[in-house]
Amino acid sequence: MSEQNALNLIAGYPEAAAAKLALEQNGSDFQEVRGEVGSTVVQLHPKRLALRVATIIEDTPSTRTLRLVAADGQALPPFQAGQYINLFVEIDGVHTARPYAISSSPVQRMHYDLTVKRARGGFVSHYLLDHVEVGQGFSSSGPMGTFHHNPLFHGDDLVFLAGGSGAAPARSILLNIFDRGLPQRLHMIYLNSHVDDVIFADELRELARRHEHFTLSEVISRPPAGYAGRSGRLNRSMLQELLGEIGNRMFYICGPTSFNDSCISLLGELGVARRRIRVEANGAPKAPDEQHGWPEGVSLDDEVQITVQGRGRFRSKVGEPLLNALERNGYFAENACRSGECSLCRVKLVAGSVFNPQEARLRTSDRDFGWIYSCVAFPTGDIEVLL
Amino acid sequence: MKHYDAVVIGAGNAGLTAATALQRGGSRTLLVERHNIPGGCATSFVRGNFEFEVALHQLSGLGTEEKPFVMRRFFEQLGVMDKVEFIQEHALYRLVVPGELDVTLPASWSGIRRLLQSMYPAESEAIERFMLVCEKVTLESFMTLPQASRANSEAMLRSMCPYYLQYGFRPAREVLDEFFADARLKNILATYWLYLGVAPSMLPFADLATMLYAYAVFKPWHIKGGSQAMSSALVESFLEAGGEVRFNCGVEQIHTADGRIRGVSLEGGERIACDAVVSNASPLITFNELLDLERPPAKIRQDFKSRRMGTSAFVIYLGLDCTPGELGVTSASSFIYETLDEEQIHARMGSLEPPLGGMLTCYNLEDPSAAPAGKSQVVLVCLQYGEVWKSVSPDRYAQTKYEFAEKLIAVIEKVYPKVRQYIEEVEVATPLTMMRYLNTPGGAIYGFQQSAQDSALLRERLDAVPGLYMAGAWTTMGGFQPTYMAGESTARAVLKQLKARKSEHV
Ligand SMILES: Cc1cc2nc3c(=O)[nH]c(=O)nc-3n(C[C@H](O)[C@H](O)[C@H](O)COP(=O)(O)OP(=O)(O)OC[C@H]3O[C@@H](n4cnc5c(N)ncnc54)[C@H](O)[C@@H]3O)c2cc1C
Ligand code: FES
Repeated sequence: MSEQNALNLIAGYPEAAAAKLALEQNGSDFQEVRGEVGSTVVQLHPKRLALRVATIIEDTPSTRTLRLVAADGQALPPFQAGQYINLFVEIDGVHTARPYAISSSPVQRMHYDLTVKRARGGFVSHYLLDHVEVGQGFSSSGPMGTFHHNPLFHGDDLVFLAGGSGAAPARSILLNIFDRGLPQRLHMIYLNSHVDDVIFADELRELARRHEHFTLSEVISRPPAGYAGRSGRLNRSMLQELLGEIGNRMFYICGPTSFNDSCISLLGELGVARRRIRVEANGAPKAPDEQHGWPEGVSLDDEVQITVQGRGRFRSKVGEPLLNALERNGYFAENACRSGECSLCRVKLVAGSVFNPQEARLRTSDRDFGWIYSCVAFPTGDIEVLL
Repeated sequence: MKHYDAVVIGAGNAGLTAATALQRGGSRTLLVERHNIPGGCATSFVRGNFEFEVALHQLSGLGTEEKPFVMRRFFEQLGVMDKVEFIQEHALYRLVVPGELDVTLPASWSGIRRLLQSMYPAESEAIERFMLVCEKVTLESFMTLPQASRANSEAMLRSMCPYYLQYGFRPAREVLDEFFADARLKNILATYWLYLGVAPSMLPFADLATMLYAYAVFKPWHIKGGSQAMSSALVESFLEAGGEVRFNCGVEQIHTADGRIRGVSLEGGERIACDAVVSNASPLITFNELLDLERPPAKIRQDFKSRRMGTSAFVIYLGLDCTPGELGVTSASSFIYETLDEEQIHARMGSLEPPLGGMLTCYNLEDPSAAPAGKSQVVLVCLQYGEVWKSVSPDRYAQTKYEFAEKLIAVIEKVYPKVRQYIEEVEVATPLTMMRYLNTPGGAIYGFQQSAQDSALLRERLDAVPGLYMAGAWTTMGGFQPTYMAGESTARAVLKQLKARKSEHV
């Protein structure tokens, strides 16, 4: 500043100018922290991970575990037991992705296990089960999601209701407790349709034998003749008997949508406050047309036209979530949870209307300004979107 | 290669108002944002049945409908006034120092005077004078100081800014000491320092005076749907005017040729040509990492050397299964201190030791739509410098975060003992979270440290590269009103320059 700076008249100004000069003497141009933001953030929240299949473990006739390591052989980012990664795949020229919970313990960071069960009518699960080989490379999101123990309010008395592949996050949560010697006790109520379909059966039974703080209650809904274990549908009296006193426990639910819904209502009937129940996301609803607010006269099989502003158009079905339809037609939108929770797949609806199911955790202003989460949006007529 | 008149990097407050004003001003503009949603700090996220406001605690500068202030016109001109709804807060804040002090200041200038005079009758006359000084300093700094300083005229300063001359740059602490004897009275009046993270001993008096006066007279406001609603409304207005926006897309390089801006490269490799770039990203990232020069121009490096990293924040977002009444909340904003010594509170902001002060904002006290019926959206904050968090190893990060959250909750619990027992949803953000979402060194939320030497009156524009403009918390005061305004005024400068260039070419 020039010497005749009139601002020097302001009380305190000359002192501030002098302080600025002094700082300049011993200050830095911040070149030394160049790149630091990027390198700090990437350790915790990489946008993409480069992975390689190290081992494939056959769990049951319908399930296998892909053990993934970092392509560069380094440790993977830390995660909280219960979190998932979104695995990107290319199948027959279609680029898509699916989120999978990490089933291994967060205490070791050299690999992530993804435990994949065959999904009826599925696309990606078949591919992962039938076509993936050791050594194959994948890209994924970093670990994400809020379905994990939170010490600020979950407490130490936990119940995990797992249906089928819902055992994947349960296993990670369980191993985390043992590996870190945490004071938590866990009661796992584990439902499966068939006896030959119980993922991690031997390992879980062994852990239950060894650890006083872990209780395993298995239930088979379609038992073979002469099955001696607990069987049948999970109903109120069975749950009551398994749980005993409810207390202030925290409940985690992970399984097929119908299983999740019935568990929530059973727990409600037993007097569990909704705030003590955590439910894992589960993809787009299979039957959005059964939800409140579905427009009359629209059927899931109806054909619609989807226009991507400035880029092209294609035909699709009402019942196919918009994101999947986009991907099948060669368009890309960022995504991770594919369940309406993370909002990464947010796109703008320029014309037409879509059905936003209860799974869509839209912000108020997204609704107001026509932004939709494409992973759970169902076009109920011809639409135009902006990617 | 696609060509635009201007590319705006980042859709934070300043980026949004810059882009909107540019496009509405007739310049073809591309807005590029790394994140999937606009807003930067001015955003929200959903957990369970709650939508959490990330950053806006009190919006300043609106005034009431009967007595409007600058921001109403401002939003009107950007085409968003009919797209958002504002909700007034009726108290400035409650300040509690357990066992020592518990006072709630109303959002009314005369109300504050009456309250303080009744509490401290011995200092009645000093209160009267102090408040007059706050008022004059604020008005002068908005109305006459810019002109006098542009003219660099001592005579104008003397005649038009007498109060600013006497008090403007002095430390707030010093001025308070000059006026008052009672330490608690000084605490009450200095409380807003906690928003800024600059201790009263380092805070220029004008900054404190302006906040106090402006919030009391023009009222503190929330936005329905949160600050996200404003961010989305600005994008809407920008799109309506024909602007183009890309989310999930970072700018990776800014290109120059012959010493001036030529374009940018986007994540994924695409190159865009343009005549001007407005960067809402930190100037440190812009000049040291994005710009294609080996080293930034000397003038820029010189400016950086006298800067110090500003504060970040540690925030706990709570969705509670109880009403504000059940929690005991009677004013939307509370500040809670463990000690009357602000310098000590400030010193703790650089460490992971238990914080000595914190704040609580309850959003649905005045706006029932901010939480599901019967529940509450409550946010706990203590400002923190990012440095200590950088040394936390990734392995220990989650645990460190929860441990520190326990410490902040412990401070708040002394005044709101039920805050823990009704938790339904909780999310914790650390300075590293801010770093992740804002792409700012140190996770800074207000840019550089805002002590007296940071003032724009001591600085020149960072305009060493023709065509490259900075807009955001780093080159103005941090906070909502200043950054909204900075973006728009930068756009005006860009429009002027683009126009000049165009007429050169014909
Ligand atoms: C928890 C919290 C509480 C706060 N409380 C208050 C308050 O009560 N009152 C108040 O007035 N202020 C408050 N603030 C501060 C205020 O929100 C900020 O000072 C202000 O919003 C900053 O605006 P900005 O324009 O500088 O942009 P920022 O919000 O910093 O946004 C910058 C944007 O640029 C994007 N970006 C960065 N690099 C790139 C790149 N290379 N390519 C593309 N995009 C990029 C980022 O993703 C981001 O969206 C608070 C902030 C926080 C976080
Ligand atoms: S991918 Fe998460 S909301 Fe769509």
